[in-house]
Amino acid sequence: MSFRLFRFVLATSMAASAHAEGEPLSFNRDIRPILSDKCFACHGFDAKHRKAELRLDTLEGGHGKSKSGAVAIQPGNPAGSEVWKRINETDPDEIMPPPDSHKTLTAAEKEVLKKWMEQGASYQRHWSFEPPVKSAVPPIPPEMPARNEVDAFIFDRLKKEGLTPLSEADKETLIRRITFALTGLPPSLTEVEAFLADASPDAYEKVVDRLLASPAYGEQMGRNWLDVARYGDTHGLHLDNERSMWLYRDWVVGAFNRNLPFDQFTIEQLAGDLLPNATQDQIVATGFNRCNVTTGEGGAIDAEFIFRYAVERTATTAQTWLGLTAGCAQCHDHKFDPLSQKEFYQLYSFFHSAADPAMDGNAILTAPVLKMITPDDTKRLADYDAQIAATEQRKLAEVEKVAYVDPASLVPLPPAKIEDRMLVEDDFPAGVATASKPNWVTKDAGPVACGNRALRISGKGVTQDYYEGGNPPIDVPVEAKFSFQVFIDPTDPPKAVMIQFNTTGWKHRAMWGDQTAIPGWGAPNTGERFIAGPLPPSTGWQTLEVPAASMGLNAGDKITGLAFTLDGGTAHFDGLKVTGRIDDAKDETKSFLAWLAAREGKDTAGLPGELNNLFKSVPAATRTDFQQKQLRDYFLINVCQTTKPVLATIEAEVAKMKSEREQLDKVIPSTFVMKDLDAPRESFVMIRGAYDKPGEKVVRDVPAAFPPLPNKEKPTRLDLAKWLVAENNPLSARVTVNRFWQQVFGTGLVKTSGDFGSQGQPPSHPELLDWLAVTFRESGWDMKRLMRLLVTSATFRQSSAAPEALWKRDPENRLHARGARLRLDAEEVRDNALAISGLLKTKMGGAGVRPYQPPNIWEPVGFDGSTTRNYVQDKGDSLYRRSLYTFIKRTAPPPFMVNFDAPSREQSCTVRERSNTPMQALQLMNDVQHIEAARGFAERLMTEGGATPDERITFGYRLVLARHPSAEELEVVRAAMGEHLAKYQAAPEAAAKLIRQGESPPKAGLAEPELAAWTLIANLLLNLDETITRN
Amino acid sequence: MDPIFEHQLLQTRRQFFGQTGLRLGGLALANMLGSQTARAATTGELRVNPPLPGFPHFPPKAKAVIYLHMNGGPPQLDMWDYKPQLQKFFDTEIPKEIRGDQRITGMTSGQARFPVAPSIFKFDQHGQCGRWVSEVQPYTAKIVDEIALIKTVHTNAINHDPACTFVMTGSEVPGRASIGSWLAYGLGSESNNLPAFVCLMPRSGGGQALFSRMWGSGFLPTRYTGVTLRGAGDPVLYLQNPEGVGSSDRRVMLDALGKLNQRGFDKFGDPEIQTRISQYEMAFRMQTSVPELVDMSKEPAAVMDLYGPDVKNSGSFAHSALMARRLVERGVRVVQIMHRGWDTHGNLPNALKSQCKDTDQGVGALIADLKQSGLLDSTLVIWGGEFGRTVYSQGNLTATDYGRDHHPRNFCMWMAGGGIKGGTVLGETDDFSYNIVDTPVHLNEINATILHCMGIDHSRFTHPLQGLDVRLTGVEPARVVTEILG
Repeated sequence: MSFRLFRFVLATSMAASAHAEGEPLSFNRDIRPILSDKCFACHGFDAKHRKAELRLDTLEGGHGKSKSGAVAIQPGNPAGSEVWKRINETDPDEIMPPPDSHKTLTAAEKEVLKKWMEQGASYQRHWSFEPPVKSAVPPIPPEMPARNEVDAFIFDRLKKEGLTPLSEADKETLIRRITFALTGLPPSLTEVEAFLADASPDAYEKVVDRLLASPAYGEQMGRNWLDVARYGDTHGLHLDNERSMWLYRDWVVGAFNRNLPFDQFTIEQLAGDLLPNATQDQIVATGFNRCNVTTGEGGAIDAEFIFRYAVERTATTAQTWLGLTAGCAQCHDHKFDPLSQKEFYQLYSFFHSAADPAMDGNAILTAPVLKMITPDDTKRLADYDAQIAATEQRKLAEVEKVAYVDPASLVPLPPAKIEDRMLVEDDFPAGVATASKPNWVTKDAGPVACGNRALRISGKGVTQDYYEGGNPPIDVPVEAKFSFQVFIDPTDPPKAVMIQFNTTGWKHRAMWGDQTAIPGWGAPNTGERFIAGPLPPSTGWQTLEVPAASMGLNAGDKITGLAFTLDGGTAHFDGLKVTGRIDDAKDETKSFLAWLAAREGKDTAGLPGELNNLFKSVPAATRTDFQQKQLRDYFLINVCQTTKPVLATIEAEVAKMKSEREQLDKVIPSTFVMKDLDAPRESFVMIRGAYDKPGEKVVRDVPAAFPPLPNKEKPTRLDLAKWLVAENNPLSARVTVNRFWQQVFGTGLVKTSGDFGSQGQPPSHPELLDWLAVTFRESGWDMKRLMRLLVTSATFRQSSAAPEALWKRDPENRLHARGARLRLDAEEVRDNALAISGLLKTKMGGAGVRPYQPPNIWEPVGFDGSTTRNYVQDKGDSLYRRSLYTFIKRTAPPPFMVNFDAPSREQSCTVRERSNTPMQALQLMNDVQHIEAARGFAERLMTEGGATPDERITFGYRLVLARHPSAEELEVVRAAMGEHLAKYQAAPEAAAKLIRQGESPPKAGLAEPELAAWTLIANLLLNLDETITRN
Repeated sequence: MDPIFEHQLLQTRRQFFGQTGLRLGGLALANMLGSQTARAATTGELRVNPPLPGFPHFPPKAKAVIYLHMNGGPPQLDMWDYKPQLQKFFDTEIPKEIRGDQRITGMTSGQARFPVAPSIFKFDQHGQCGRWVSEVQPYTAKIVDEIALIKTVHTNAINHDPACTFVMTGSEVPGRASIGSWLAYGLGSESNNLPAFVCLMPRSGGGQALFSRMWGSGFLPTRYTGVTLRGAGDPVLYLQNPEGVGSSDRRVMLDALGKLNQRGFDKFGDPEIQTRISQYEMAFRMQTSVPELVDMSKEPAAVMDLYGPDVKNSGSFAHSALMARRLVERGVRVVQIMHRGWDTHGNLPNALKSQCKDTDQGVGALIADLKQSGLLDSTLVIWGGEFGRTVYSQGNLTATDYGRDHHPRNFCMWMAGGGIKGGTVLGETDDFSYNIVDTPVHLNEINATILHCMGIDHSRFTHPLQGLDVRLTGVEPARVVTEILG
């Protein structure tokens, strides 16, 4: 049986059992699934691929005459119907479905179709396109203990099925179930005890309200939404560099916690930027549409990716709110649902004018971004600016205290002298930023020309070590030349070596060797790429020299960074120095006259505009005294080396303030947001979904099968968002309540929670789905209220311990004759262990953290230059944060999550699987995170759990399962404990190792063999099926 | 374990399998069923990861696949697509009528010239079939009579990320299932002790990135994801007990766990609990079977020599190649070796030598070793990258140096082993290896052919996704490349 068939049988059995023998068939429930699966591909909505001009998805088509004149379906007369004839054909040329479709009708399906024709072959529009109607709540069967309307619908169906609900689960099970359902965490022992002690009839409801009000509620709900929103911490394609958009993740958590109504939740995420007077918060929300994967791959074609991003956003929006699988209409009319290709591109045009670029630039922030600046931040930054300005003002007063004598005005002029200055010896200057890890080798490890160490560079292709942010910068002297020592490795010579300098950019280079080496770095025949000579011989240390001017460096330029580079091979570098003529009278950094002379009549970059203008357009002779003083003040404060020392104190103050300001500015986070281009792009139907084959031009609109947009004139994304949550939209409320149902009960009322179209499954309880949808909308889209309704139902509160017959009758629990029993999600599995161990840190929000990860997850896949190539594990509290905050690299997501079915977040995910594999067992047994948690748990057993083994085991059971162990369980665990203890008492060195896994130290004062034995017991309890299951 | 308890487990589980065999995924519990051999199928045992009903569609030629993925785009002109006449075009502009107005990448579209760079490597004819092979692959040259070379493979994508995604999943956009996952899903595993689909990762390695979606299950259940056998760290994630915990300690813990979980089953009746018990036992067994798998100390010296000195370095290509044979021998369905660094935009001659030094001996050894151990007939080996490289030089062209940009319009792949007619060659390109002049083979057709060799009709192998029955081989008809089949 293929997966498809399996699914189909299940769907029909769910539906078929709903109508008794002789009851009229429903087109949507009974007939559409058959026709959709077997016939619509050629006889459905897609006009282009329709065969024989026959369509069977509408009454007009089905009851009309086909091309040959035959009537496809004669109501009441199967024998006279061409359809009946053809599906019973034996001739392979005549039979439907045709053999090459690889589809066949079963006898049971044919029987259903025959009965439908006999009953008149009536049609309905696909159920999900009809507006939901709040049907009357069925009467509650008296023998069934219903608590709210949900139960009325569920129990009504159970009664028809001849089933009864199970009784309510015991209180221990209930509090653990509800705490996981609403927060993703286990209840604390105090919470369990409080609930057990509370005999009031609404004790459970009180717990529910407490949990709904707890911050962990938003984390749990947010985590589920982030699967749909495809949130990740990297771009997802090619380099897969880090991106900063965790503010959006935190917005989602916050929105659930403050119970933002779902309509507003929708509008802000899809179009918060277009709201009048949008708040920063509302703009952050638009990150939803920036969560898609993007590329920065060199050579990629812009138009292609602009197209892809818009397609992705359209498909995600349609799936999230409408439960429609719009993606296929990218290439052709939808075969099963009323969505034409043109309509797809009309929806697409709402997203096609997004302002983000085709290439993300591999940047951590790809525009448009929002800097989340608070009023307090604004004030603090302004304060710094004011202080800095005030301090700068003091410079003038200081400088005026110095009697400055221009060396050019002395008679005779002071003599010139040649000096040299060592720039790099043994290390880069202190305090500079180095992106690479320079390999400084001492004499025992390699050749050294001078001092104690030399820099060794070795690599395939262009490889370099460099620093930036040198402060103070290196002043380029007059007639300067740079020199350094190089040792070319004779066994592995590079193609070329290069030095590079950064002034106002990396644009000064000198290269020795193959002229084509280091391709693309700097424009040829300029100072950006000066070919200084051939590669020196590999016969020991060689001195290389280059005039500063050849590299476009002028006297007075300030060098803030430098680099040693080679193209392939290996070389050592040492002793970089600058030599220059120090002639005070001609030195622009000492002589005001020299400085003036060098700038008269010229345009000097870097000078304040006003002063630059003086040079450019006011001849020296015509300057006023004031203007002359302006120039002199500027010179003395900013340029002159002889007056500089008196400013040192002030400079230091300014530098300190600037650095503090920068620090403050740096920690103000930014995030990706959505914005449209000022001039919208024109959109076209793209023929066969090819980015470079535009067809008919389209304007923004919604598909005709839905209510129209109120604003037809140039509608915006905001209009689209409002339309999605308008009262007359048939799908958004249904799709949303179904996803909530899925989260609470494990499977949606519509099992295919991402597909409400005719290829999706029909709802198991259509009236309940509609009742919930309308009620949700009428409540003002109150999400907490909806969750409360679901989890306070008797349906939710049933026991999940069921007799074998019930498991067999309804393995997926679609009828809800028992409570849901669900394996915890990946994040819950880890958070549970952390919470029980006492290691959990509940700090909320902030940039993604990097907890334990086995070695070599990122490295074997990562691109050389990627910012997420090497995984650097965090230390301290970050190891113990809730899993929601774990950094998600999309091309290599955290294995502890993937292993338990968490999606990679490369695309929207509406439902996770719940697999059951040995890889999961290995992780829970051996992952350092779980071993460390077991030790923490063991410490609690020993320090809080009482004195005897039985007391401790009981305490352990209560922590992990909220319940007491049975006598038999106690015995099994006690016996295991005895064996472990004997082992570790005999092997204390093994005990010492086991309890030292992970970064946190074991608690002092506990006997190590005993702690080790309890650690394995804790590991056992954390591995119980019941522990990783929401019972 | 208590034998009575074991018997009870077995009963329950057989029942469970009978009902819902499909629900049990990935690996399972051969040991509990008494298997001592790795290859359950050959002993007539119950397969814990059986094929889908009706699969294979017809008797397969191959039972296992070894896919050698050369990531970055190997240069067909310097390895297989011999164009001696190109020498006279050295450093001349590629003719307009050859280049046409086709799309080229942003990396070279700004170049003022597109000078022809003939390969500097010497080609010779090898084997009975007289295949032209370049001097960079002397070991592969020795096994050319086993392989079918396709010179005219083409793909849709021109950049790495979409092209890698396409070659492995049949789509440029992330989200589809990888070919290994499709095969594991359809055919299950012959082994009850090892996963159906194993992906061998390099230890590290530079060059273009890999993406986990290349062995991901996409829309298929996650248990069909390729299990990565890693070049560094635990060979299988979380395989080793923590320090201070021995196998006997783990056994004590697992015996207790089994009893407690069995009690849970008695209480709740949930068959998932039975599955969980068996998965823990499988995990325990993997703790010995995987180290046995990765321990190559019992391989004869002659075999080790065949693969060359690199075979001793875990994560090297040679090591992975031998591992692939060991995996296939143990019934693993799909083995995928990822090798990086083929993106030779510049300095191609040296880079290619280095890439082939990494891989060539391992490739030759793998085929020879499979053949001598009788596995080649039932194992399909595929070699290729995500696209080819241009005839014109990227960057400066000299007598000894050049680079090549991405070229999706034609490139070389080869297959060998089960179902393949060795010594064949298919397709022809123009004199510049720039356009296909005869028998184009799209990557979808390569995939259709792989499925065919495994006994699957690709057009009938579908999975529902977003309203479509999705195929690995796309919506357009794709033919099986019968010319290379034996």
